[in-house]
Parts: sequence; C-alpha cells; structure tokens
Amino acid sequence: MKIVCIVERQRRASIKRPPTPDAEDETDREPTIQEIINIKLIESGEKERLKELLRERLIECGWRDEMKALCRAHARKKGRNNVTVDDLVHVITPKGRASVPDSVKAELLQRIRSFLSSTAL
Amino acid sequence: MSSRNSGYTTPKPCKHLANYKLKHGLQGYNLIQDFFKINPYGRTMIDKSKTEMPRCSFCLGYQGRFYMCLICSSMSCCSSPESNHALFHSQSCVGHEIAVEMERAELYCCVCCDQVYDPDFDNSMTCKHLMGLPGSGNGVVLGGGLRLSKRKRLDFGVDLDLKRTKRLVLSRDQRSKSCFPLGLRGFNNLGNTCFMNSVLQALLHAPPLRNYFLSDRHNHESCRIRSTERLCLPCDIDIIFSAVFSGDRTPYSPAAFLCSWWQHSEDLASYEQQDAHEFFISVLDRIHQKLGKANVVKENGDCQCIAHRVYSGLLRSDVTCTSCGFTSTTYDPCMDISLDLNMGPCLPSDYMSKSNKPNASTADSTLAGCLDLFTRPEKLGSDQKLYCQNCQEKHAAVKQMSIKNLPLVLCLHIKRFEHSPVRKMSRKIDRYLQFPFSLDMKPYLSSSVVKKRLGNRIFSFEGDESDISAEFEVFAVVTHSGMLESGHYVTYLRLRNQWYKCDDAWITEVDEGVVRASQCYLIYYVQKVLNNKGGEDLSCHPMSTRADAFVPIAGCC
Repeated sequence: MKIVCIVERQRRASIKRPPTPDAEDETDREPTIQEIINIKLIESGEKERLKELLRERLIECGWRDEMKALCRAHARKKGRNNVTVDDLVHVITPKGRASVPDSVKAELLQRIRSFLSSTAL
Repeated sequence: MSSRNSGYTTPKPCKHLANYKLKHGLQGYNLIQDFFKINPYGRTMIDKSKTEMPRCSFCLGYQGRFYMCLICSSMSCCSSPESNHALFHSQSCVGHEIAVEMERAELYCCVCCDQVYDPDFDNSMTCKHLMGLPGSGNGVVLGGGLRLSKRKRLDFGVDLDLKRTKRLVLSRDQRSKSCFPLGLRGFNNLGNTCFMNSVLQALLHAPPLRNYFLSDRHNHESCRIRSTERLCLPCDIDIIFSAVFSGDRTPYSPAAFLCSWWQHSEDLASYEQQDAHEFFISVLDRIHQKLGKANVVKENGDCQCIAHRVYSGLLRSDVTCTSCGFTSTTYDPCMDISLDLNMGPCLPSDYMSKSNKPNASTADSTLAGCLDLFTRPEKLGSDQKLYCQNCQEKHAAVKQMSIKNLPLVLCLHIKRFEHSPVRKMSRKIDRYLQFPFSLDMKPYLSSSVVKKRLGNRIFSFEGDESDISAEFEVFAVVTHSGMLESGHYVTYLRLRNQWYKCDDAWITEVDEGVVRASQCYLIYYVQKVLNNKGGEDLSCHPMSTRADAFVPIAGCC
C-alpha cells in the first residue's frame, strides 16, 4: 500500500501544476524513485506483463463489464453525440478506481514487490 | 484491401480531421506505420522505443494517456480535462490538431478532445499485418495448398432439379392417417441403437442432404459402386430416404443399414451403446470414402462429395509467440465443431453490491459462451512450448481459433463425455446448456476474430465475407439423457416451425419449451438462406405448382 500512496501523491502534485512551455529547466532535476521504478518496469517488460495480468483479473471479476455498463448509461444520459472519450474517462475513472477488488490490488502489489526485490535500484 | 465496409458505418470526420487530411493526406500515417505494433497478448499500440519511457513535452510527466502529434511527433499527456496537454499543444502550435494515442494506436482530435476514425488510418496501420509481409512479424501458412478464396460464392452445387425428384414424394399417401409432414418416421431400436436412430433422423432432415437424395442424385438401383464393391453406404442411406419419405408411418427397422455400417466399421460393430457423435462422423467419413474419389476435385483442393459439400467447414488457428509477437496461421478442414462447456459467468464481486451476478456454479452455460470459449485466446501451457520461427527458439505461446469458412449445415458437438486416460475413468457432464434457435456465427468468423485482434479499426478484412450468410437456424437437436454407460439418445426435429420428438419408434409433437429444456449433445444448424423452403410440407402440394420448393439457388457474385 505504501508505494501506491507515494505514487498517488506525486501524481496529484503534477496534475495541479500548470504547464510550463520551458520544459528544458526540468531536465536537470534528479529522477524521483517513482520514475526510476517506472523506468525499470518498462525496460524489463514487467510493466506490460503486469498490465496484462491486471486486465485479466479485472475481466474475470466482472469489473470491465461493470465499467462498460456505466459508460453506456452515461452515454445514454448525455446523448450519443455529446459524449467524448475524455469526458467518459473523466467520469468513469473515479468509480473505476474505487471498485477495484482488494484481492487484485494485493496481488499486483505483491508482484511489484517481488520485482523490486529482484532488481537492483 | 477492400474499401468496402461491412457492418461499419464510418463516423463523419470532425472538421479538424478533414482539414488535416486535406493538407497532409496519408503522410503522417505512413510515417508511423512501422511503429504500429501488436504485442504478444494481442494489444495494438504505437511503440517508438521499447526501452524509453514516453514523456510529455509540457510537463515531462510519464503518466496518463499519451498522444503523439501527427505533424511534429511531439508527445503530450492527458490526465484530466483540466490537465489536457494534448489540447495545449494544439493551442500553442496552430494546425497541430490530430494525434495518435500511443497505448491503443487510435486517432485523436486534440481540439474535440475525442477519438476520431479514419479508414485510411486503419488501413495504413494494419495492411502489413494482414498481408503477412516479411518483417512485419506475421506469417500465414496455408495447409495443404489451400488457396484463400477472396470471395466465396454461394454455390451449393446441389442439383435441385424438379424433374428428377422421386415420384413417391409427389403422391399423397392415402395410408397416412396422421397430419405429420412427410418424412417423419420412427426407427425401431435394434438393441442399443438409439445412437444410430437419433443421428439418422438428423441426417434425413438436413435440407441439402435431404434434397440431394430426394433428387435421386444417388440411386441405389443404378449405383456403380454397389455393383462392383457390393458395399455402398450412400446406397443404404438412399434406401432409408425412400422408406422414410414413402408416406408409410409404421416404424422402420434400419437393420440393413446397421449391418452395412458394421461392415464398413468393423471396430465399432457390436451391440454396445455407441457415441452418437462418433457415429455421425463415421457415416460422413464412409460417404466421403465412397463418393469422394469419383467427384472431380476443384482447383482449390476441396472435395466435392456430398458429405463435404454439406458439412465441411474450415478452421483457422493462430499461434502467437509470447516473446516476440510473431503469429503463425494454419487452416484445417472440419466436419463439425466440438465445444467445451463454458462454466457460466464469472464470480460475483461483493463490493459491487448493486450488481446481481449469479454464482458461477449455479449459472447456466450458454452456447454463445461455449463459442466464445472456443475462439478465446488460450495460453498454451509451459509444457507445450512451441518453436518460434522468428526467435529461433522455443517459447510459451498463445493460440486462438476462429472459423474461416462456415459449412451449409453446422454440427455443434457439446463435449459432455470426459475421458481421462490417466485415471482410466470417463464421466458425463450433465450441466444444462442454453442454446438459441437462431444463431449468428459472425462473431466467431476469422474475419471478426482477427479484426478484433487488431484493435478498434474501421475497415473490411480481406474479402470480407459479408456476402456469406453467417445466420443459421436450428433444425435438429440430438439429446442425451441418463448416465455414460446407460443413457438414451432422442432427437428433436423442427419441421415447418413445429417441433417433433423422435424417440426411436415414437414420433410425437412437442412444444419448443421441451426442446429448450433438453440436454443437448449435438445441435444441427442450417444456413438461414437454405432453410426458407426447407420446412415446407412436401406432401400437401403437387410438385408442379410448388416450383419454388426446389429452386436452384444461383451462386451469388
């Protein structure tokens, strides 16, 4: 749970920050631990495997069907031509995050932990 | 690739996409063609570099959805409507409005903040993968020199000429007291032969097969095989057709047929209960053996014997290496499709209190579920590692089945008998299977399955089989009740929208509810286009005025 909290906090901070056209200033800063982990996950291909595992679990437990139903309901309410992808993502994301089963969270965390322990940071 | 869309109506492009196309045409699409990848799990994406993490040019963030501008290739992220850097990009660089989403390889309009569709984009992305060009990571291996026909003509080749129809079909039989349609006749059980009786009923009423024999295409009196080899199963079948359609309602004893079949298949000759499916396949096999050689084989290698013309389909098997994504494709003919019972919908999730999902163990299996299971990508076990041509080593693989060509008559075999050679035990699965009377096989066709694998695209897949009917109607259901060793087969036939139960010698009218509730084992579907006149009562009208009952169906081009 610890790692997830850190990532959440970091992300929230970056969202609130306004976009700066001079991105060159930022390249000098040290990469955060989250970034390093992310890089390692991507480079080793583990991120792709984890994503695939997550997809499988979320389909198995009916979460994806639930989200599909929510999307349909939203599209019906707003009218088919008044809905954009951005809009749907924005509306569904909080509900989606809230309804991920604990067992799925635990399994993925376990996988990430064992990955981290097996790789040099 | 055909630009004809089947079932997809291309959404109208937004003005930004239209402007982009006017100015840049296909330039941008072609530039990123090589970055379009399909990962081993079947996900399509844009992948510029396997090792580098994409970063937003605005905030250097590495999370959220990423969009790559089709004009300047800069990367922008989008995490929320307030933090949509793709939108900012379009605002800061005039004209940079169209981007591609990295994770799914789909077009996005930064101004409309919505996904947009362009068949040219989809064509550009997927053309290499569909053509199987070297270096694109996909090989297409055709088994046995089969040529993939670009367009399959609806050429049934079954002669339905009026003039040659047997005389006995014309006359209304005065002996017949019942109002049952012609062709319904019970079979006596000759000693555990319900497996044979049930399948015979299903064969007798398969419209193309019935039409073939009733049009006198194989006359047992003038058969050459019979005079030379003495054994000809098609002749015995012809005799049964004559007997069943004669109008005589007294139960018939197919003793001669049984004896003939025993002689054809010595290993199955006994009074023991046999498996109906095995019997069905063996009968088709014997028909092919007798009639297959005589028939001229067409250039594309398909056998033209009546058994193949009616029941033969083609299955496609795609095996993908999980290490590099290389897919190898093979085609295999099939006379039926054997389906495993799917175990119903998934387990309920307790936190979603509002949803009312039934428990997996109590939910019913559906035919759609079984077909889904059949076409689902299956991870081959670690003990089944296959040699990958691309990697030159053995790797774990994913296999996916789909149907390339549908037969005229589709036999779906539900695998209810489980044999375990290890434990030397067999058991029967009694689980109820819900099946529809009208079946649309489109989602299970190769064109649909492979299309889905390529992501969310708008285009038609190599000679899209939209001129092939994928709609089927049920006409016969062979059911099994009881236990493995001591069960009983019964066939339900649908004639003129009325269901009849054929239980050995006893034929009775039943409600469709009875059929729906039965334990199906072999379900026979016929292509809807063939079924329209198939259910007509042949006894009620003289042939001369009922010309359309045997209309030769022109091949459609």
